[in-house]
Amino acid sequence: MKILVCIKQVPDMESRFKPAADGLWFNEADLAWRINEYDEYAVEQAVKLKEQLGNEPEITVLSIGPDRVVEVLKKALAMGADRAVHVQDSAPQQKGPWQIASIIANYARDKGFDLILTGMQSQDRGSAQVGVLVAEFLGFACATTLVGFSYVDGVIHAKRELEGGLKGLVDLRLPALVTCQLGLNIPRYPTLPNIMRAKKKEIETLSVTSLLTEEPLAITTQFYAPARKEGGLVLEGDLNEMAQQLVDILQEKTSVVR
Amino acid sequence: MEATREIYWNIGHGTVLSMYLLAAAAIVLLARGIWMRVAHWRQGKPLNRFDRYPERTRRMIAEVLGQKKVARVRAGGVFHALFFWSFLILFAGTLLVMLQADFMTPVLQINLLQGHFYRGFSLVLDVAGAGAILMLAGLAVRRFLLKPVGLETVNDDYRIHALLFAILITGFLVEGARMAATELEQNPELALFSPVGLGVAKLMAGASLEKLSLLHRTFWWLHFALVLGFISILSRTKLKHIFFTSANAFFAPLEPKGALATINLEDETIEQFGAATVADLSWKDIFDADACTSCKRCQDRCPAHVTAKPLSPMKLIQQIGEAAESGSNTGLIETIGAEAIWSCTTCRACEDICPANNEHVNKVIELRRNLTLMEGTFPGDEVRTAATNLEVNGNPFGMAFAARGDWAEGLEVVRVGEGEPADILYFAGCYASFDKRNREVARNFVKICNAAGVKVGILGKDEKCCGEPARKLGNEYLYQMLAQEDIETIKATGIRKIVTTCPHCFNTLSRDYQDLGLAIETEHYSTWINQLLEDGRLKLKQGELQDCTYHDSCYLGRYKDILSEPRALLNAAGWQIKEMDQSGYASFCCGAGGGRILAEENLGSRINVARIEQAAATGAGILVSNCPFCLTMFEDGIKTSDCEETLKVRDLTEIIIERIGG
Repeated sequence: MKILVCIKQVPDMESRFKPAADGLWFNEADLAWRINEYDEYAVEQAVKLKEQLGNEPEITVLSIGPDRVVEVLKKALAMGADRAVHVQDSAPQQKGPWQIASIIANYARDKGFDLILTGMQSQDRGSAQVGVLVAEFLGFACATTLVGFSYVDGVIHAKRELEGGLKGLVDLRLPALVTCQLGLNIPRYPTLPNIMRAKKKEIETLSVTSLLTEEPLAITTQFYAPARKEGGLVLEGDLNEMAQQLVDILQEKTSVVR
Repeated sequence: MEATREIYWNIGHGTVLSMYLLAAAAIVLLARGIWMRVAHWRQGKPLNRFDRYPERTRRMIAEVLGQKKVARVRAGGVFHALFFWSFLILFAGTLLVMLQADFMTPVLQINLLQGHFYRGFSLVLDVAGAGAILMLAGLAVRRFLLKPVGLETVNDDYRIHALLFAILITGFLVEGARMAATELEQNPELALFSPVGLGVAKLMAGASLEKLSLLHRTFWWLHFALVLGFISILSRTKLKHIFFTSANAFFAPLEPKGALATINLEDETIEQFGAATVADLSWKDIFDADACTSCKRCQDRCPAHVTAKPLSPMKLIQQIGEAAESGSNTGLIETIGAEAIWSCTTCRACEDICPANNEHVNKVIELRRNLTLMEGTFPGDEVRTAATNLEVNGNPFGMAFAARGDWAEGLEVVRVGEGEPADILYFAGCYASFDKRNREVARNFVKICNAAGVKVGILGKDEKCCGEPARKLGNEYLYQMLAQEDIETIKATGIRKIVTTCPHCFNTLSRDYQDLGLAIETEHYSTWINQLLEDGRLKLKQGELQDCTYHDSCYLGRYKDILSEPRALLNAAGWQIKEMDQSGYASFCCGAGGGRILAEENLGSRINVARIEQAAATGAGILVSNCPFCLTMFEDGIKTSDCEETLKVRDLTEIIIERIGG
């Protein structure tokens, strides 16, 4: 079995974000980078499946970006992936999900992957589209926001997280792509022997230009911090009048009261 | 009448040969018993504790003869010291008699045991014998009647006490019988020099010479047999501590306190990190179990044990010994228990008080290294999160690394990363950089330095956690990763002196980092500011006399022996210290060491609250500490105890800053 896991390197959410000079994305100075949280669940699930199947499957982990993304590839290798693909791209943030998905699909098309796992969404852009688009490009069965995964006799039994605490059960046949949600599993902390073994695993570097065949479908025109909110409004005076004032405000300014 | 005695009187020189043969046999049994333990210890890895042997030997002789560590705890300790010296004197006396009879008389033809020397000799030995019996009785009362909590008494203890009593008493019976027959009437003034023997002789006075002869010979052979018995079973009873505990004074580490083995992460042949089985430990770790005398002093002082966590340092040592009995492949984690292993705060109270020189703390860390590096487990999810935060942002809080230098806003500091020169590099550490309460300490420190005309440099956002909590939790990889980056950053500044406000950073930068290539002089602020005071660069005014109690942090006190400088500063600032019972080397941990500052305390009662209550009991009203972990734990402890009205905690810098001037 051949498994592909797509991972993204994102800035740590505690970092201070400022718009970049071009005003189209955030400035990368003074950012701490880490593997996208949802992609960690994807890597963990792939490794779990590999262990379940007696270590026969081969897991390839892929990431798009400049040299710094090698760090997250190494982390995935230390968690148990077998080989890594680094799609060298100096400006991945300029590409929307359509282009990113097409790059991945172009890479994966002729490799014979049985299963692809991605995170449900990225913590910085949050489009939640790349996984689904890749599945469409490749004609794979697809299920998203997985919080449960089991594989029996060639069939994936997926549990999806829906609104209101509901879960949806979906069965998929291979080849398939699933996107992973919080609660699917607890990613393992790499052991030191695995970290050391990871240093010897192959990291193949490809140039993004060889894989990029699509024009962007949506373009970012502006990136800015939200305007500072005005101060709050203090109501004073007669209790009944204040209550009426409050109801008026809620009706006019919000959709809380109809 | 001359002051001497006929050695072997009534026993006869003919028996000397059989006596020596039997004694030799007993000694062979003893040697064999010890030799058989060697294979047992060798199940552990090699470790060189034979280097610098003159130094080691001197230390061993001083400790064994001086009994200082043993007597440090009065209960039992003083009795043991006196008992030991008495027994040693008796042993030396017996050897001297043997030397006299079988060498000095026949070969050299001189008699030492005569005249004044013999009188003194007799008196000393009698007093020693009486002293030994009295002290042994005292020890027996403590163990069998008073039964201190936690002191385990086993069958072996009954046997040993009985055997020792029997040896001592038969000794006096032999002497009494001899004196009754040869001195009581014949040399009464000599008899006065053996007062106890005289008393025993008087009890036998009425008997005939024949009877006395028989009694004497019987007691003599009985005494001899008991002593041989003592020698031959020594290695199989608690008495083995005579050899093994003494030897541990030789094998004790010469490295600075708290030194840990730095794993060579470049070595690709290493398959096992940390200790999972007996074979992963060193021979010394297994030997420690033989040196342990179950005195339970470590357990009594362990903050984890005292607050009902499953850890006992004494049991840890013994469990390793027991596991080694089952073979080198015996697993350790299940025997000892992960919860016990994670409970240790590395405060070193156990090692500090151990009279047997056992090394408890490093065993815990080796076990943790296995848990973390080989199994990827943590004491809790919150610790795992902290470890990830350290990887991503260089601090356990997960706060943006770019904000690390923000505490210094508005202060006169130099960003040494940009090549600007400074007098010292202030390594702030994670808590001083990010924790609201501890930022005050950082700011105070800079202001104090500025008042003394010292130019302070900081690394700001280039500084990362020194890695100490990760290291103490067993994560040697994460520690070395952080350390290498810090060392590179620090070296690039060209600074020649580092000062910290955190004893953990202080220990790590001054000692641990040396293994990784940093050799820059590092101090804790207490000694640094004290030096500024002594040099006259800083002046303090006394002001109104204030009461406080002072907490010696583990990593400043027990690890680095820094006890007097902080007190000198407090006094110079006009503060009066009402010491807690457990102060100085006996200080009680705040609970945050050993990486536990990152963990939640879910077992037993709270260590920090226990210490807060001790501080409140002094009535001083203000508790002064010198460590960011202690400060955090005590602020927390005050809020969660009944002491909110009666106790406040301040860092030493907060005391000093108020008294600058004069």
